[in-house]
Amino acid sequence: MGGSQSVPKVTAQDRAILDLKLQRDKLKQYQKKIQVVLDREKEIAKQHLATGQKDRALIALRRRKYQQSMLVKTEEQMTNLEQLVSTIEFSLIEVSVLHGLKQGNDVLKEIHREMNVESVEKLLEETAEAQAYQREIDEMLANTLSREDEEEVEAELKQLQAEALPQQADAEPKVKLPNAPTAEPIVGQPEAEPEEATLQRERVAIPA
Amino acid sequence: MTLASFTTPSGFLLPSIHSAPPFFTQQPNPNTQSIVTENWTRLILTYARYRRLFFIKLEDAETKGGDWDEVLRNERINRQLFPSHLSHILSQMVERNQAVYEPQKQTRSVLLYWRLPEEWAEVLHEWVTTTGQLNSILTFYEIIEPPIESVLSGIPMTLLRKAISILGRTGRAQIISVADGEGVRFFAGTGK
Repeated sequence: MGGSQSVPKVTAQDRAILDLKLQRDKLKQYQKKIQVVLDREKEIAKQHLATGQKDRALIALRRRKYQQSMLVKTEEQMTNLEQLVSTIEFSLIEVSVLHGLKQGNDVLKEIHREMNVESVEKLLEETAEAQAYQREIDEMLANTLSREDEEEVEAELKQLQAEALPQQADAEPKVKLPNAPTAEPIVGQPEAEPEEATLQRERVAIPA
Repeated sequence: MTLASFTTPSGFLLPSIHSAPPFFTQQPNPNTQSIVTENWTRLILTYARYRRLFFIKLEDAETKGGDWDEVLRNERINRQLFPSHLSHILSQMVERNQAVYEPQKQTRSVLLYWRLPEEWAEVLHEWVTTTGQLNSILTFYEIIEPPIESVLSGIPMTLLRKAISILGRTGRAQIISVADGEGVRFFAGTGK
């Protein structure tokens, strides 16, 4: 296993971050120490009060107050350190994002270099030409075919139809269709008169 | 004589063998003793895991008031594990890689391996992964005493170093040292 190649190099930034974090840890430890001191001073004050040494208790409490202010100060410093650490970490991320964008941009440029507008136009033109050429060939082929073969094709079609027709004749009797009228249809008065006659008959019938 | 398991004030269930007086005495017969040692080993490791104790010292058997009182003493049958017996058990554990003398070159205190360093390495890597801290630099202090308690809280430095060096062998961790101290950076597993 190539341990050295799979692990990235330690950069100056890494060292700086580590330094800051170590500082922060020291502050944390210091805070812990102060907390212990605070508790101890309180205990001391209590003991002095119990034995009636009020002024000593007061001194202990004063010391405690001072330590408390130290605690607040370390808290502030720690916030500063932590902010700095996260700022650096975020900046590093931004750098890597920028790097990523740059690479993407380069790739895009590379692709565009291969695919400039002129070459696309040229390609489209060539394609159109090729299509036209193809169409020409198609027409030529179609023309040469039709002359002689069209008749043969037609003959084949007729033969096929002839083969199909007897079957149709067999199928016909199953459906009864009325025969087509042989006489000319009668147009005009002869048809209208009988209707009027019936109407008149009805009108007569109602009063009776 | 009926032996019953017993639940200690800390909630740990002691096995019934813990109520047997001979269990506390070093046996002259080596076969019997090996069984006793085996049971003690199991008991010590499970109790250590339960209470997250990393060390056991002969001192714990010598004086009362330590973390191990519940196990090393049984006042219901008025028995206790003598330091010499504990010393024997510990030497057996060290021999079987269930513990290691810590600090080295003495035999009064051992670091218990209720997880082997290899297992700790996996636990460590998983913690780093799930807390999203891959590729960022961590201090040892940060791992041992994280702001939010973790599975690694309180892990002894030597054990942590071992786990990190195991991860380092597979390219999953890298130690960074500066003038002020050391830090570590973890990487996603390469699957190798």
